Amino acid sequence: MHIPDGFLPAQICIGGYALSGGITWYTLRQIYKTSDPHEEIPKAALLAATFFVGSAISVPIPPGSVHLVLNGLLGALLGWYAWPAILIGLLLQALLLNHGGLTTLGINAIIMGVPALLASQIFQLRHPLGQSFKPGWSVGVFSFLAGAVGFGLAALIFFGLTVFTIPAALDQATEQKALITLMAAYVPLMFAEGGFTLLTALFLLRVKPELLES
Amino acid sequence: MAIALHSEVYVSQDSALHRWAVRPKLISLLALMFAIALVKHLVLIPWVLAVVMLLYRWSQLPLAYLLRRLSYPGLFIVAMVSVLPWASGDTVVWQWYWLALKLEGIQTAALIAGRFLAIVITGFVLLGTTPFLDILNALRSLGLPSLLTDMTLLTYRYLFDIATQLATMQQAMRLRGYGVVKQPLQQQWRQLVALFGSLLLRSYERSQRVYQAMRLRGYGQNTNLSYISGSRLDSSRVQSPHSLRRVTWLATVLTLSAAFSFVLGEWMLSRL
Repeated sequence: MHIPDGFLPAQICIGGYALSGGITWYTLRQIYKTSDPHEEIPKAALLAATFFVGSAISVPIPPGSVHLVLNGLLGALLGWYAWPAILIGLLLQALLLNHGGLTTLGINAIIMGVPALLASQIFQLRHPLGQSFKPGWSVGVFSFLAGAVGFGLAALIFFGLTVFTIPAALDQATEQKALITLMAAYVPLMFAEGGFTLLTALFLLRVKPELLES
Repeated sequence: MAIALHSEVYVSQDSALHRWAVRPKLISLLALMFAIALVKHLVLIPWVLAVVMLLYRWSQLPLAYLLRRLSYPGLFIVAMVSVLPWASGDTVVWQWYWLALKLEGIQTAALIAGRFLAIVITGFVLLGTTPFLDILNALRSLGLPSLLTDMTLLTYRYLFDIATQLATMQQAMRLRGYGVVKQPLQQQWRQLVALFGSLLLRSYERSQRVYQAMRLRGYGQNTNLSYISGSRLDSSRVQSPHSLRRVTWLATVLTLSAAFSFVLGEWMLSRL
């Protein structure tokens, strides 16, 4: 779900940088409000590297296997740090794997990062809304929602951008058909992302609950 | 995961572009990339590609480097644009039963592929001639917050370690039968969750040790991580400041002029 260089007009690339610049400013402001932002930097950096590497794990979903995006889980674990982590992850992907692009970095950060921030807020909702449940249930429900919504929203933004920018001469009926097919293919993936996020959150709740409380 | 190592991304040479000061190089090459992204007329693409290839030649990067780094994104772009000539446009240039090749689709595919190629090669010039830590240093001096640069440095530093750790853990899983012995889907998922969860856990615990070590060295008390890499110091040692300034001026002016020529060409063509 990364848009490569050359696909989008420069105005959209620049708009993407401007918007992601604004989001970076806001998230850094939220981070600096915490007692010691320096303490969290190594943790956020190492977990960002782990997510970068972990997205290469091939997860079986019959009839094939997929690489998960995990932006919802990243948001749930890192909170506001999810935005810089995604920004850095995308930069390194563009530089080291030639995946994504430098001119589309801002747009790709919005595609992945905004849903991750939303997923972080969804996961935090377990405190006010999940009190009547057992801890395992509340972590399970809200982590599933965080994972599924994080991925689903990223797919929606990606398809929205694709439809509105590339290319004007494409046949409308073909475009609609392709879009519906692709979106239908992404629905099971949304559940897979939610499921993997749920299982990972429950694993961490069992072995290192403090990791979920950051 | 095929993460390119630093030695595979940066090519140590003594070209003018390697000696080009990093800040103006970063700004000029990014301006060139955005100017390329602005191009909407196919007629400009040969000029854009010619300029970029000249830049590549000037950088003295080997052709093998270009071909190696271009293989993955090249396949990806071919897969993405190859559908356009069949799906986009009205003017049919060739038809076989229901399969019709359309002129507008070919033009759009050529435009996107040309822009992609030009931007990617410009990126290779930047990365092939500049050590990553110098780019990070330049970004910080251009005002990027220290939180971002510190996080980038640490992520980059531990990326390869964690990738190696994952490879070892996956090998251990395979030795215990994962992927070799047929298992139910539920069990495969449970093992993969345990794999990723353990990786997260190890990284978290390691991050605490890293932070404590950094604190002992004074991190967080008006000090930040150091980014100075050897190569930049080496090149400054062998080159006189006058020669460096001349190279920087020449490369910056030529690159920005090329970027301006794309913008001007695009503007003139859109007025016709």
